[in-house]
Amino acid sequence: MWTEKYRPRTLDEIVNQEEIVSRLKSFVKTKNVPHCIFAGPPGTGKTTAALCLAHDLYGENYREYIMELNASDERGINVVRETVKTFARTKPMGEVTFKILILDEADNMTEDAQQALRRTMERYSETARFILIANYSGKIIEPIQSRCAPFRFTYLPREEVIERIRYICERENVKILDDGIEAILEISEGDLRKTVNILQTAASLGKPIDDDVVYSVVGRANPYDVREMMLMALNGDFIAARSKLKELTQKYGLSGIDIIRQIHNEVFKLNVPDKWKVKLADIAGEVDYRLIQGATDEVQLSAMLAKLVEAGYEIKRGL
Amino acid sequence: MPSRTAFIPWIRKYKPKSLSEVVGNEEAKRKILEWIRSWEKGAPEKRAIFIYGPPGVGKTAAVEALANDLNMEVIESDASTYRTEEAVKRFAGRASQYGSLFGMKKLIVFDELDGITGSADHGGLREITEIVKNSRVPVILIANDAYDPRFTVLRNHCLLIEFKKVSKSEVMRHLAKICAKEGINADEAALKFIAERSGGDVRSAVMDLQALAQDKARLTYEDVAWLAPRDRKEEIFNVLRMIFYAKDASNAKTAINMADVDLDMLFEWIYENIPYHIRNPHELANAMDMLAKADIYRRRVKETQDWTFLRYVIDLMTAGVALSWSRKSAGWTPFRFPERIKKASISKEERALLSEISRRIGRKCHLSSSRAVREVLPYLRVIFQSNQKMTRGIARWLDLTDEMVAYISEEQ
Repeated sequence: MWTEKYRPRTLDEIVNQEEIVSRLKSFVKTKNVPHCIFAGPPGTGKTTAALCLAHDLYGENYREYIMELNASDERGINVVRETVKTFARTKPMGEVTFKILILDEADNMTEDAQQALRRTMERYSETARFILIANYSGKIIEPIQSRCAPFRFTYLPREEVIERIRYICERENVKILDDGIEAILEISEGDLRKTVNILQTAASLGKPIDDDVVYSVVGRANPYDVREMMLMALNGDFIAARSKLKELTQKYGLSGIDIIRQIHNEVFKLNVPDKWKVKLADIAGEVDYRLIQGATDEVQLSAMLAKLVEAGYEIKRGL
Repeated sequence: MPSRTAFIPWIRKYKPKSLSEVVGNEEAKRKILEWIRSWEKGAPEKRAIFIYGPPGVGKTAAVEALANDLNMEVIESDASTYRTEEAVKRFAGRASQYGSLFGMKKLIVFDELDGITGSADHGGLREITEIVKNSRVPVILIANDAYDPRFTVLRNHCLLIEFKKVSKSEVMRHLAKICAKEGINADEAALKFIAERSGGDVRSAVMDLQALAQDKARLTYEDVAWLAPRDRKEEIFNVLRMIFYAKDASNAKTAINMADVDLDMLFEWIYENIPYHIRNPHELANAMDMLAKADIYRRRVKETQDWTFLRYVIDLMTAGVALSWSRKSAGWTPFRFPERIKKASISKEERALLSEISRRIGRKCHLSSSRAVREVLPYLRVIFQSNQKMTRGIARWLDLTDEMVAYISEEQ
């Protein structure tokens, strides 16, 4: 897949996030890395930066010195107590005296696990350094934050994304039109992973990529748009919105928590009065909490949709 | 083509005419045949067989089919007739001695023997035992439980033949045969559901099938799924009506006592029907909110295993929903079957496959499984549908099996 094929291998290959890269390079030079937090929106190069750092530090066989854990998949306290500890406690062979543990989506770790992690980080800092990757550093508990060097990743500038698109198209021998590029930029919103995924999907149709091609593949790829479901509800069609919801959970296997978090992401992008955005965020928060407590996904999410119906109705009446 | 024939119970219409047509119980059928054939060489040691087994598995049907096969005249008594010593003697005594001398061969059948009572049928069992001992014609006894202490003496003079519950697949095959004859295009899942629910009782399965499928050209899983094990449609409709259109809070609450309806099932019905009855946006939001709260208490019941919390579930899902709306927006709307019951739309195997796929994508693309499903899988689907060369490369790189590739490429 192109996301991997064109993922930079070394820090030198990373053309953007210059400030971050130069700090990371200085770590390589001194052969010392502090615990780090890489925070920032999706698709801005956090994981890539961590992998490149490891590559430059350890050389081609860097995989032997690192461990990559995804906290969303393995977020319990037991993982920290067992897997992480086992990895962290032994010293690696070679020039560099520590290993690196990359903890992706660390903001999805439970608080208990984070507390356990804090101790582990301290105790084994001789033999292991941690890179925590998160969308929001705010979800990482304070004691961990204070032990880490913070790095803030930001969306890539437009020009650099365009450059990347052109570079890939050239290498892959794909013809892309200006309006095709524009369409990709608009949909991917600065997320480079999404950009490249859309690009490859569009290229798979085997014809020059214009905006029509882009919109059609994106439409086909996202039949389960959460946003669409929300708009149905706002327009007053609760029954259609609920059917959409069923489709999301049953056919596409999305969990209730996935959906409510996507709903929350969309709330502030909706074309509704600010007062309602806040109200809806509040409701989303309550639903999220209930789902974590183990309530029934569909029932709780439907109640949220009914609130959207109510919101749409009131907004129409100018309330 | 839907059949428009007058209402004939299918259980009668498709009654087996020959023993070989009786569904299942092959061994029992073989034993019956063996025993009846042994009469050709004079009365065998056991003059009677005692057929026993649960309801609806074809005991009586087998005997009737047998008589039909061999062109025998059946002399039958069931629970609807008196079976005192006198009555039994009058009914079967002579027949058991002289029956086979002239004309048709005779077969004496005592059906529903469990129904024989000590007082009203005084002396009946003893007389039946006498007949069994000395009969010159074959005697067949039928009951659910041959091991009832009342039958101890009688049993010793009989060859016991057990009818077992009919297997699900045999019930299904039978239902499929009926559907074919009725011109109904039935989903396998629908027949499976009916068969499962029947618990090996062919009679009830056929009756259910008729209730659900008569005059239909097509029978889908959705058509049958609303039949919970215990609940009946009419009962549920009444309860729903009482809840949605209750006069006041306590009225709505009492609805729940009106019928033996499973609470989780009723919850689904209410959930399904709210938007069809409550259309005002404020009221809809209120009603759904009530139900969502009921759901939380439901969860608490499970969590604490303290069933006293159930009272709050009931309060919120009945009175809570009833009072959340003014009933102004209602016209007459029929109630709908809950859709959520058909949860099976993504099967366990499918779920396992999906999670393995997302794990493999996640591993290679440095993503969590849930992000892989959300952010990569949708694009892979389009690629797999449009570009074979790219698909092969990606599948090899991600280490996807053919089954996985096929699953991903599937049009959703």
